[in-house]
Amino acid sequence: MTAEVLKYTLEQVEALELAPGAEHENLEGWVPALATDEDLRQALDKALDYRGDVTLTLKNGERIEAYIFNCQSGPTLDESFVQYFTPNSAEKRKVHYADIARVEFTGKDRAAGKHWEDWVKKYNEKKAAGEKNIALVPEALE
Amino acid sequence: MSVPISQMWTVSTYVLKKRLAGNRRYPLVLMLEPLFRCNLACAGCGKVQYPPHILKKQLTPEECFAAVDECGAPMVSIPGGEPLLHPQIVEIVEGLIARKKYIYLCTNALELKRRLPEFTPSKYLTFSVHLDGQREHHDFSVCREGGYDIAIEGIKEAVKRGFRVTTNATFFDGTDPNSVRAFFDEVMAMGVEGIVLSPGYSYDKAPDQNRFLGRARVRRLFRAILSNRKKTWKFNMSPLFLEFLMGDRRYDCIPWGMPAYNIFGWQRPCYLLQEGYAESFKELLETTKWEDYGVPSGNPKCANCMVSCGYEAPAVIDGFGSLKGFLAMVRGTFSLYKDEHALKLLNEPAPHGPATLVKIESPAHELEETRA
Repeated sequence: MTAEVLKYTLEQVEALELAPGAEHENLEGWVPALATDEDLRQALDKALDYRGDVTLTLKNGERIEAYIFNCQSGPTLDESFVQYFTPNSAEKRKVHYADIARVEFTGKDRAAGKHWEDWVKKYNEKKAAGEKNIALVPEALE
Repeated sequence: MSVPISQMWTVSTYVLKKRLAGNRRYPLVLMLEPLFRCNLACAGCGKVQYPPHILKKQLTPEECFAAVDECGAPMVSIPGGEPLLHPQIVEIVEGLIARKKYIYLCTNALELKRRLPEFTPSKYLTFSVHLDGQREHHDFSVCREGGYDIAIEGIKEAVKRGFRVTTNATFFDGTDPNSVRAFFDEVMAMGVEGIVLSPGYSYDKAPDQNRFLGRARVRRLFRAILSNRKKTWKFNMSPLFLEFLMGDRRYDCIPWGMPAYNIFGWQRPCYLLQEGYAESFKELLETTKWEDYGVPSGNPKCANCMVSCGYEAPAVIDGFGSLKGFLAMVRGTFSLYKDEHALKLLNEPAPHGPATLVKIESPAHELEETRA
């Protein structure tokens, strides 16, 4: 948790009737400008939260398609690293912040575009059309 | 409480040993997620939105056993994803039974009936079947018509074959407490060992962002549901945790009480939030900034959470950690929680909101019946 996050008081917490949902941030296709170390840290924090693959371009020119699942942020970029899986490897991999030149949110955001309201609309339409066994199905894995 | 004596003995002696050893932080239940792949696409779930190459990955039995051995918790919950989609789930379960771990295999039961012959009944193995309420409620919640009927078939077959079976339900805003109480009647009549229930967590990746209960509404809902109980209802949960949901007790979240392990590693800080991973359980315990989480921290991500993975462990520790707590637990096990005010809550109009788009018929019996 970052220090600037607005915190609730205990009284506010206990009186909550409905918990506010999250606003989905549309990051798909985003290529953050990395002018400073802080820009890089923020971009990688967002990549950690992103439910799609990103493409990392390293300072040696290598490009890596990666699902980032862990960021260990240290005092310097040399002491900070991300962990990721690539689509074609079973092994966890690691790269230091200091080696990253560019971050692109290239993969499809798997948490985007699925809304409860869409399900309700689809359900009501299909029901009205007399369909049976109406369902949302998980996306294909291919 | 419907938990077998042998399981209670295992957990109580574990808690006492940890307390006597002066351990401040120890796990009670390991949340072992062997995969994220699922055969449902539930609106309230934020667990399965990953790229295909991540959904295809799964823990090996050896990785599961190593995590269980390192963690040392006496109970292992196997959620996911859908664990019955894991091709080696039988081997994983058998390995955990050999380690004398009490296992709760959490399943939507779409595959349960088909796969039951591969499993052997054991006091260590419970199928915890996801059912979010009566037929229409459940089907709408999991976004699949017919899901309830398939799950019920699986439950009945599992009970017939001698397996321990519980149901587990997650509730969101708009839940009709009368329907939930009728649902309790239905599942108990099927011969399940007990019911598990929890308010939903506000996953920021879940498709439905408008129905997460705040703490005040959680307490009111669960007071309406859980007061004036019927003797036939059994809960496979700590009575003190249920009192917490009803607003009778205050606990602080202890996220290390039910740590989560999956293909990425040990999840920080808990099963619900995903703020990075540790390579080992020791690293998780020693390097997570625990003070940043829980209600006292003011962290908005924890503000509305009253979920069992953070709050049942302190209730269990309270129950087995002192004579006062133990007596409260015994009292809670046998109490029907008579409450006139809660009866009035049941007579309030059914909630209106996104969750009530499907009309649920009123239960046929009178509310006064709950006083029996």
